[in-house]
Amino acid sequence: MSERWILAPGQVSRARVVVTSLAAPAIALGLGLLIQPERELGALSLFLLAVVAAAVVAGMVAGIAASVLGFLALNYFFTKPLHTFHVADRDDVVALATFLVVALVVGWVVGRAVEERARATRREREARLLNYAAIKSLSGEPLERVVNDLAGALVDALRLSGCEVQASVGDRSVVARRGRMEGGTPEHVPIARGEATYGQLIAVPDLGAEVQADDRRLLESAARQIAVALERTSLDAEVADAREEAERSQARAALFSSVTHDLRTPLASIKAAVTSLLQEDVALAPDQQRDLLNTVLEETDRLNRLVGNILELARVRAGALVPAKQATAVDEVVESVLHRMAHRLAKVHVRTIVRDTPEVAADPVQIDQVLTNLLENAVQFSPPDGEVVVSVAPWRSAVRVTVTDHGPGVPPEDRERVFEAFSHGHVGGSGLGLAISRAIVLAHGGRIWIEGAPGGGTAVSFDLPVRDAEPVDQEAVTAEGHA
Amino acid sequence: MTTVLVVDDEPQIRRAMRTSLDAHGYEVRAVGTGEEAVLSAAEQAPDLMLLDLGLPDLDGTDVIRRVRSFSDVPIIVLSVRDRQADKVAALDAGADDYVSKPFGMEELLARLRAALRRRAGADEPLPTLTFGNLTVDLARRLVTLDGERVHLTRTEYALLEALVGDPGKLLTHGWLLRRVWGPGYAEETHYLRVYVRALRRKLGDEAAAPRLILTEPGVGYRWIAEPG
Repeated sequence: MSERWILAPGQVSRARVVVTSLAAPAIALGLGLLIQPERELGALSLFLLAVVAAAVVAGMVAGIAASVLGFLALNYFFTKPLHTFHVADRDDVVALATFLVVALVVGWVVGRAVEERARATRREREARLLNYAAIKSLSGEPLERVVNDLAGALVDALRLSGCEVQASVGDRSVVARRGRMEGGTPEHVPIARGEATYGQLIAVPDLGAEVQADDRRLLESAARQIAVALERTSLDAEVADAREEAERSQARAALFSSVTHDLRTPLASIKAAVTSLLQEDVALAPDQQRDLLNTVLEETDRLNRLVGNILELARVRAGALVPAKQATAVDEVVESVLHRMAHRLAKVHVRTIVRDTPEVAADPVQIDQVLTNLLENAVQFSPPDGEVVVSVAPWRSAVRVTVTDHGPGVPPEDRERVFEAFSHGHVGGSGLGLAISRAIVLAHGGRIWIEGAPGGGTAVSFDLPVRDAEPVDQEAVTAEGHA
Repeated sequence: MTTVLVVDDEPQIRRAMRTSLDAHGYEVRAVGTGEEAVLSAAEQAPDLMLLDLGLPDLDGTDVIRRVRSFSDVPIIVLSVRDRQADKVAALDAGADDYVSKPFGMEELLARLRAALRRRAGADEPLPTLTFGNLTVDLARRLVTLDGERVHLTRTEYALLEALVGDPGKLLTHGWLLRRVWGPGYAEETHYLRVYVRALRRKLGDEAAAPRLILTEPGVGYRWIAEPG
């Protein structure tokens, strides 16, 4: 629903002046000859009317021309002797002279008034159009839309066949085209401000018409407004870039310190355990030795998980997190992760609810990592012997996986934030795990979110879209077991 | 004495493996490049090869192909848990199994023993296999669970036969599909899924705590029950 900006042309076209100047007296003459008035007064009135009509329709010049032509026609056709420019009667001389003076004055005054009015209307509409352009250019709307709307308003206002804007600022370029770019001679207007030139505006009038001087001025003003919009966009982008850069470097610093911390913690445990084992001055009991060795084992697993997540994070940052997609059965990935993590999951009670699901186009290694991260968090926040539920089920055109624990839960206001890398300090690297998980799920065209679990706790779910919908067997399989 | 050829470019890994395998009574040869590996496999004819896929000189898959041109020594591939496609390529090139790095020695030794056992029993086809309460009579195509006959469809039986034919070995999707369904079916992994699930249900195996069939997502399946 574009606003309408139709502008009357500021100047009446020459063709219209000529046609009106000839047509108005010609019609009056025709009527006069048809009616054959008894007295000259009738013919005189007809021609006076023609003068007013010409002035109203085509302005002052037409009014004056119609006066002169009317005077000649009256003289030739209606004063005796007929069909000559001689005037026999003295009364006729007075009448004709009066007609000429009155007609000239009327044509001049009416024509000027009409022209003034047209100009005023146009000026007002021009002002409105430029005001619209100014508001648009500073509106903060997307550049493409601003430029497109302005091109549309110009097409409407100037009754153009088409209008095209080609401009670029920085590494942004924008092209907008409204209407058809064929017709009369195209008018090229540079989009520039001060020294800088950003592109050009091309206005194509209708076939046979050309862009008038008034219209050209208006196009130039509009082009300046587009330049303003471009500069604003470029400034906005610079500000946003600067802000983003600041945030990035802040995040990088936080990430760096957190990664260092998270890497050192397991290393410290490993080193402490191994040096204890290597001590020669104390004899450790066999179960103490086993404890220390188990510490080493658990901490190397933790390091391995952490390194996996850091690697993925590096891929995310480099924009290189591209899933190696293949037809993947999510329930099989769940099964495999539970099997691999059996030792780690021994301190909780794991229940799986697996319904028949179609295969999804996914990278099984990355989905494995998401599940590992979610289960890792669930175990970490679960009370001893707490229940962790893993469910896999079809959901519309996706497969939904949910991992539910009965830990302390995440308050609603933090449920978005926990997916940001290191948003909540380092809870054993879980912040990183969720951030990576989200990146992976998004790379698969899915989504991931947190809800509260019924009866307290956290339910993290993610959806993976199904590429090819296989027939879904709705037989529900509920398997229960200690993993 | 059983000889194991360890191929890895990391000296620390070679040292740890040598120590541990040595303690378990294996004779260990360790080399650090693919060229040395091929040479050693040819000259010393080891009983088993542990091959790291990330070697400095040759692509691991090429090493497997070259070794396979003259030897059917069991090859277990070691690789970081990253790209399933690389593992599938190694298995298709002729590797017997893979173990993801970092691995536990326990797991590696179990795979190593399984591979050696398969090799030892490769020439004598057993008419009947027993896995705990499950018996598969290959000659009569008869399957019993706790003494009761299990009714399997032709395809289910063919799949079971393929799986138990190489206990412990990781069988890729492509291999199983070609073997059971035929050459045109190598991409139809969902067939496998459906039949593996059916087999599990009929044989009393659970996906959450598998005793018979283990899934390796994106790669294939492995029959994990020990025969005997």
